[in-house]
Amino acid sequence: MESQSVLVIGGGIAGIQASIDLANMGFEVYLVEKTPSIGGRMAQLDKTFPTNDCSMCILAPKMIECAGHERVHLLTYSDVVEMDGKAGDFRVTVLRKPRYVDVEKCTGCGECAEKCPRRVPDEFNVGLAKRKAAYLPFPQAVPRKMTIDAESCLYLTKGRCRVCEETCQAGAIDFEQQEELVELEVGAIVLATGFDPFDPGSLKEYGYGEIDNVITGLEYERLICASGPTGGHLERPSDGKVPGTIAFIQCVGSRDVNYKAYCSSVCCMHATKEAILANEHYPGLKSFIFYTDMRAVGKQFQEYIIRAREQYGVGYIRSRPGKITVNEETGNPVVWYDETIYGDAGDPERRVASMEVDLVVLCQALVPHSVHAEIAEKLGLMLDESGFIAIEDRLIRPVDTTVPGVFACGFCQGPQDIPDSVIQASAAAARVAEILAKKSKELEHA
Amino acid sequence: MPKTRVGVFVCHCGNNIGGVVRVPDVVEYARTLPNVTYAEDNLYTCSEEGLSSIKDQIAKQGLNRVVVASCTPRTHEPLFKRACEEAGLNKYLFEFVNIREHCSWVHMHDPAMATEKAKELVRMGVAKACHLEPQQEFESDVFPAALVIGGGVAGMSAALGLANQGIQVHLVEKEQELGGLIRGVQTLFPTEQDTDELLRPLAERVKAHAHISVSLGSEVENVSGFIGDFDVSVRADGEVEGLRVGTIIVATGAEELKPVDLYRYGELPNVVTQLEFEEKFKSGGEIPRSVAIINCVGARIPKRTYCGRFCCATAIKNAIWIKERDPQARVYVLHRDVMAYGVEIEEFYRRAMELGVRFLRYDVESPPEVLGEDRAKAVKVQHQLMGKEVILPVDMVVLTTPLVARDDNGKLSKMLKVPLGSDGFFLEAHLKLRPIEFSTDGVYVCGAARYPSNIPESVSQAYAAAAKASIPIREGLVRVEAITAFCDERTCSACGNCVEACPFGAIELQQGRFGRTAHVNTAQCKGCGCCVAACPSGAMQQRGFSDMQVLSMIGALAEEMTGGVG
Amino acid sequence: MVSGSDSPGNGFEPKILVFACNWCSYAGADLAGVSRLQMPPNCRVIRVMCSARVRPEFVITALSKGLDGVLVLGCHPGDCHYSEGNYFTRRRGLLLRKLLEFVGIEPERFQVRWVSASEGAKFAETVEQVTEQIRALGPNRPRSEVLGTEPGDR
Repeated sequence: MESQSVLVIGGGIAGIQASIDLANMGFEVYLVEKTPSIGGRMAQLDKTFPTNDCSMCILAPKMIECAGHERVHLLTYSDVVEMDGKAGDFRVTVLRKPRYVDVEKCTGCGECAEKCPRRVPDEFNVGLAKRKAAYLPFPQAVPRKMTIDAESCLYLTKGRCRVCEETCQAGAIDFEQQEELVELEVGAIVLATGFDPFDPGSLKEYGYGEIDNVITGLEYERLICASGPTGGHLERPSDGKVPGTIAFIQCVGSRDVNYKAYCSSVCCMHATKEAILANEHYPGLKSFIFYTDMRAVGKQFQEYIIRAREQYGVGYIRSRPGKITVNEETGNPVVWYDETIYGDAGDPERRVASMEVDLVVLCQALVPHSVHAEIAEKLGLMLDESGFIAIEDRLIRPVDTTVPGVFACGFCQGPQDIPDSVIQASAAAARVAEILAKKSKELEHA
Repeated sequence: MPKTRVGVFVCHCGNNIGGVVRVPDVVEYARTLPNVTYAEDNLYTCSEEGLSSIKDQIAKQGLNRVVVASCTPRTHEPLFKRACEEAGLNKYLFEFVNIREHCSWVHMHDPAMATEKAKELVRMGVAKACHLEPQQEFESDVFPAALVIGGGVAGMSAALGLANQGIQVHLVEKEQELGGLIRGVQTLFPTEQDTDELLRPLAERVKAHAHISVSLGSEVENVSGFIGDFDVSVRADGEVEGLRVGTIIVATGAEELKPVDLYRYGELPNVVTQLEFEEKFKSGGEIPRSVAIINCVGARIPKRTYCGRFCCATAIKNAIWIKERDPQARVYVLHRDVMAYGVEIEEFYRRAMELGVRFLRYDVESPPEVLGEDRAKAVKVQHQLMGKEVILPVDMVVLTTPLVARDDNGKLSKMLKVPLGSDGFFLEAHLKLRPIEFSTDGVYVCGAARYPSNIPESVSQAYAAAAKASIPIREGLVRVEAITAFCDERTCSACGNCVEACPFGAIELQQGRFGRTAHVNTAQCKGCGCCVAACPSGAMQQRGFSDMQVLSMIGALAEEMTGGVG
Repeated sequence: MVSGSDSPGNGFEPKILVFACNWCSYAGADLAGVSRLQMPPNCRVIRVMCSARVRPEFVITALSKGLDGVLVLGCHPGDCHYSEGNYFTRRRGLLLRKLLEFVGIEPERFQVRWVSASEGAKFAETVEQVTEQIRALGPNRPRSEVLGTEPGDR
């Protein structure tokens, strides 16, 4: 039986945009998101290049529009466990994980989180801060409903506590809640599962995990973000000092046949952005970006790089550093690199150089989300060599996967930035509409 | 006129408000306010219980205004508005007062002051509510057809994206055939297939489609109207045809920059652009034995700062093409960064290197020099990574130039009332989240008209534009939230300030009942209020944010001030 | 609670009217609340869709009715949800300050600031700062009280 409903898997900006477009086009949309809130990676960013728009400011209205749309049905804190069928007629089983909170009663007031005694590393803040077992992933979470994490909750693991239950005046805590399986019939599926950051710990030469003041790009984003764990104060890990110099290392794990052969596309730009933000927050701060090719190919991107150089004094050094050591006394990382362009760092003589800085930011590769292998198996679709969702014919059908009726948009099908993800999301909506097209006369209402 | 009967509902929000603000005192106080018929407190006004209570009291008390004092309107306003509607009360007779985010949560250590503040905020809210008027959301019909301007890959894909949904599309193409820019390209990257393999079936599908009417050799001459109802004049063969459409997609593409005065182009016969290389050599010319491809010609320079995005890929494509036909050929790509972003293009780049293509990096400050008297014989370049000058003997030089905006973009931009960016390409509504829309509703852009993009990107954009352009048509009407501006023609002096002030071009001076006055096109109005503040006579007002309403809030706030002129 | 007629240093609590735009500054104020950033309770927010909605008449009315200060908050220049609104606000703000000075009201009683939706802390700081600045100016007293004349007297 042909269904006019659509399943969107992944609640980041691509999934949100696809859902809004599909809903506006008249389809019923089921948006499944594995974390308790939609928003995805964009919610973790401070600003976005090249406009330096505050990320949450432009994301939040979209999240609200998506969740508030009468044709969008959010299934957050849920996973897709089964998928079967074909274009026009897919049968999907979604597992709704128990939040232990009755969402009908929960008003998101946050009192349970206030009183919860259990602290665990906060995923949203990439481990730089702690959250409670009863929590809201971030202040602007949509839906604004609390979640109790079964793995850390004292009651659910050890049978103690229940303070949240006492505190909640709406009576929304429900430790008896069970997981729920929801069966859906949809006509098309849109994948928007995004990416995960690559763990640069495998590159021993860079000392991530060993040297305190070597952090990843995503960690830096959380530190510089006004609503992050340090309120936007760039406090380096070892001593909380504000760095006077920062080295950004590009292509950590990317463009590297030992790890990921591809280019992650957005790192040149996000490093530039981060360097600009550092200088904006701390006018004396000097940043150096160690790059191979400065890939600023989008609209207004070159102008952004020029601004970074001229207005914010960002230094660009063409080199892929060989290793990072540490000055034990100061905790300062030392970057060792081969100066490929003479005179780049202001020193025309040396070929092997070292630079001691206060902080190193590794711009790590961005890799396909770990859930892809499962999805590929369930749907029988192909992944490319790098693990991204394979596109059947990129030139003519750039959002079609190898399975008819299943589309992929955003980073899950290849490294790309926010505008490209949003474009692909809308494109996927159009493709869905094409394959689910009603007979022409049904459209005649004018 | 019925007496104003205001109902006030003050929320405890569990302890969030009630733990700081003395909610019962606020309710007591609300009862003393003029026009307040009824006031109560709720544990959670947004709960089923709270909403039911609102609906009940509207009926029981004959309330004709509702004020809820609780959290921020940014989350629950639609919820309460719906409750009012369900109880038969126009949803624009509802006012929200924020006593949580703006009060109890930020004055936790001063319950007395927080309570006083909450009372004042409620007093202000009630004052505004008394001046609210019922509103109907403006709806205007959408004509169920779309116009696509431009029949290249983007335009054709957009047309198909719409037509396959059952929507009638008019595709207007200036040239005598479909295909646009890629007609000049022989093979595509990274698949290396013949362009024809892609282009011919695409054009066939477009021409054969029942819902697409193609006008070749045609140009758009005039556009009037607004989303849902555009009147378009199209000129072809000296004749003008009128079209009526609901939405418009701009897919007019761009042009290859001809690098006049650069690298002796035009002077030496064997210095050519990429498109010229495609045309002259890839369909049967002699393959050069030694080629220097120079990238960033006329791009990423002070005069033209942007990057052509896919030109590196084009250079790599043609470098590989030469090497595959003659593995002994010497191919040099002189670049300033290799923009092989993503998965496939990076792989393509690696392949080129494996085939023996040599990539040399040069600095914008020391560009290459083409040497030779009546033919290019060699290219001299400061090799940045070797730190010395090299001379490459060549028998051809290919210049990789970026796409540049078409000259007629200006004309079209004025017709459609959409802006161009500083580089001449069409400027979208928002670079990040609205990349293929314009601030002007109902008009969309895709492909190189917006910015250089390769085929997959252009096609994605085209499909995205099709999705956006189909929404008003599928909906059948355009509905606007009733916070729009309107002009009281009796007091309008046609000064035109509002016309200037409106960021969306939604206001025009027109002949009306009271002479020449300002007229707001409600379908285009976004409800910002810029025009209202710009109006010297107060003729322009904003529904839900009128001068009267705001001034009443100011008056209510200042009521107990013992200072002031009164 | 009586205010406006006390002199500074006598526990005078200024009453400040704040206009906040829906998309940026109102959201920033919300975030300050969500983050439980404590601030002085002297401000009263009126929500508008865009800071450009605020006409000089609002500011002058507020001050002439005895409110001690008016603060207009908008999106950072370049970030206006309606593209240009905050540019109007900025220009009007500059002119209005000059006008206030001309009629004898301290121009510092009227301020325009930019707060984005993610700047909860900045909102709180702004409220603190402006409250203190206006507190230091003392209550906004009408000419009559200052000069000991009646309105209309020369």
